[in-house]
Amino acid sequence: MSNLYREELLEHYHDPLNYGVIEDAEVDINRDNPTCGDTIHLTARLDEDDRIAEVKFEGQGCVVSMAAASLLTAEVVGKSPEEIAALGLRDIEELLGGMRLSMGRVKCALLALTALQKGLEEAGR
Amino acid sequence: MTWSGKEVRQQFPILQQKINGKRLIYLDSAASAQKPQVVIDALSSVYSTNYANIHRGIYRLAEEATRQYEAARAKIAKFINAASTDEVIFVRNATEGLNLVVYSWGRSNVGAGERIIVTELEHHSNLVPWQWLAQEQDAELSFIPVTGAGELDLAALPPLLADGRAKVLALSMMSNVLGTIPDLAEIIHLAHAAGVVVVLDGAQAVPHLPVDVQSLDADFMAFSGHKLGGPGIGALWGRRALLAAMPPFLFGGDMILSVRKERSTWNELPYKFEAGTPAIAEAIALGAAIDFLTELGMENVRQHELQLVTYALAELSAVPGLHLLGPAAEKHGGAVAFWFEDIHPHDIAAILDEEGICVRAGQHCAAPLHRRFGIPASTRASYYVYNSNEDTDALVAGLHKVIKLLRR
Ligand SMILES: Cc1ncc(COP(=O)(O)O)c(C=O)c1O
Repeated sequence: MSNLYREELLEHYHDPLNYGVIEDAEVDINRDNPTCGDTIHLTARLDEDDRIAEVKFEGQGCVVSMAAASLLTAEVVGKSPEEIAALGLRDIEELLGGMRLSMGRVKCALLALTALQKGLEEAGR
Repeated sequence: MTWSGKEVRQQFPILQQKINGKRLIYLDSAASAQKPQVVIDALSSVYSTNYANIHRGIYRLAEEATRQYEAARAKIAKFINAASTDEVIFVRNATEGLNLVVYSWGRSNVGAGERIIVTELEHHSNLVPWQWLAQEQDAELSFIPVTGAGELDLAALPPLLADGRAKVLALSMMSNVLGTIPDLAEIIHLAHAAGVVVVLDGAQAVPHLPVDVQSLDADFMAFSGHKLGGPGIGALWGRRALLAAMPPFLFGGDMILSVRKERSTWNELPYKFEAGTPAIAEAIALGAAIDFLTELGMENVRQHELQLVTYALAELSAVPGLHLLGPAAEKHGGAVAFWFEDIHPHDIAAILDEEGICVRAGQHCAAPLHRRFGIPASTRASYYVYNSNEDTDALVAGLHKVIKLLRR
């Protein structure tokens, strides 16, 4: 865990990138993690090639879910829905600095990614 | 009599280990309790000396296994002061016991337009089965609310009983989040005066308090052996007359008296409700756990925990930004939950884990209760016979570390 609570991730937790809501976005989804009560509201805009132009999120959660969401919003810009659908736990672990997450934290780490994947799906992309 | 927790702790092998070079501090007994050596020995002794299927074999091993299995049932009956041993049914856990009542008693006794009463502090296992029954039978599900202080708002009960539609009241004898110990005598008195059957979720109470189902005048009570130091097994107690009138829950071997091609008749109590091969060694080891607690004395267990919780509530309330949930110590069992506006329970649990401290983070299978308090989740430290005030000191020191790391 020492790895988890290092300064760089704490920065993302306290001061996340792309925190907020995009009005009238193509992707607009709310997700929660019922076991720990984490919530996320994620919005995303697509460019004319149907690639991600911008993602914003707001919500409540632990360091892992907030830092993963913050890092993800930057990482996915320019990616196609197919590329995003192919992302998984390993990619999030990479984003978080290459650690292996314990079983209990996997859902936290994936909250933003699954929100984006589901949101794109619901938007028909 | 109380004890420091240290001598008792010696009898739990798992607690002798170190985590990260630190003393293991187990504060999650409300989820499941650790096992004393006598329970581990009992399990191992069954398997190494007298294991066989019960109620079947004519040979000596089978007879001895049957005798020990039935002796464990008798220990449970005595422990909760059941009027007779055949009122005790072995089940997998409290959840299964409650489902047994819902499926068997509930489906034949609760009809359309009738009312099921539960409370806002129930564990999902004493809420979701009743939700299902209400939907299935087109019955109404009503709630006794919880006050801001974490107690049941009993003023809400008489109106729910007044129109004669209420059939059953199901409630926890101790909240697994707030620690609340409701005034059961008063509640059961009111319910029975209105002809309402009372189903008790004893998952938290039976391990921590002296429980006497006869003086409580209850109708059903379910509990889990794993929360009182036994293995993964549980028991349901029910009033004889009610159990006798109920249809079986599961069908198969052992629960029948006679079987013809077209139909069968049911075995007597308690076997009518014990279809198939049960958890034999687990039942016997649960008997050993009950012996262990009986030797400590349940009144002493309560006094020990009262002392621990009084200390914990005082120490925790001094942690900056910490909000405690639940009532004052006299009405508060071994579970102590708290929350911070600015720190997520997952982070607390993960950082405490580095210190060798096990606490639970999340909603503890009580989502509606967390919603009631307007919080997404909480952290829970829960105490048992092997804990001491030193554990609380370590917890508080750990929380200060968490704050230092995460608070800006
Ligand atoms: C109050 C309460 N009821 C019911 C249960 C369910 O117990 P089990 O999971 O052993 O069936 C628990 C335990 O988590 C509990 O704390």
